[in-house]
Amino acid sequence: MIDIDVSTDRGIAVVVPHGRLNMVAARQLRETLNGVIEGGTNRVVVDLAETTFLDSSGLGALISGLKSARQAGGDLRIARPTPAVLSVFELTNIDKVLRPRADVESAFDV
Amino acid sequence: MSERSHQGDEADGARVLLLDLAAEPSALDDAHDALDQAWEEHPEVGDAERLRFVMAAMEILGNVVEHAYAADEEPRRRRLTLEVRRVDDGLLGTISDNGQPAALDLSDVTMPGEDAESGRGLALALAALDELGYERVEGRNVWTLRCAPRG
Repeated sequence: MIDIDVSTDRGIAVVVPHGRLNMVAARQLRETLNGVIEGGTNRVVVDLAETTFLDSSGLGALISGLKSARQAGGDLRIARPTPAVLSVFELTNIDKVLRPRADVESAFDV
Repeated sequence: MSERSHQGDEADGARVLLLDLAAEPSALDDAHDALDQAWEEHPEVGDAERLRFVMAAMEILGNVVEHAYAADEEPRRRRLTLEVRRVDDGLLGTISDNGQPAALDLSDVTMPGEDAESGRGLALALAALDELGYERVEGRNVWTLRCAPRG
């Protein structure tokens, strides 16, 4: 289990996973994102500044959250990935659909 | 440890790590911790190399833990090993398990579409490594991961 902080400000949920988003933690993230979106917040920023590692299942959890958020009429954005995490987005070409944002506050500006 | 990998026997170079773990999800964090520790003892391994190696090793370990064992296999029997060696041109990893043969053809592995929620593991491992091999050796699955410095 890893720590995943969730806060909501002006209708935007900020989800902060701490540590490694591997196969075990990915299930946790998927449930957290589902809970946020089912709870009525359809705009979500996943702040990856504290995420030291991301694997394909963590990526799957982000894509699952992205699809749920869009189905609910909102969106999911990612912000501040570390270089290790960014390289996973690049190697899987997911940076096209989940474009990393420079900061959390402006993640929904454009 | 009684069971050793063939690749390990052939390879020159210094052993960086050898682990024998229960093949269950906790093996991912245990192996990751051990690798982090090993890098501290081997500063000669470059950042980019270890990043790519760890990325691939975690995908293969995840695959073993998720798919190698029949549902009725006794948990106590499920074991995997991870060996990492420093070789001239980079890192050589060997992951082996006593599970069922993996039904796959690595030459068929492609990156799934962007909205897929799974199926990227092996494609990511292939992209991160310079060489990924799989073979069945004496009743074990043996994965070989080779990672050379780039650029």
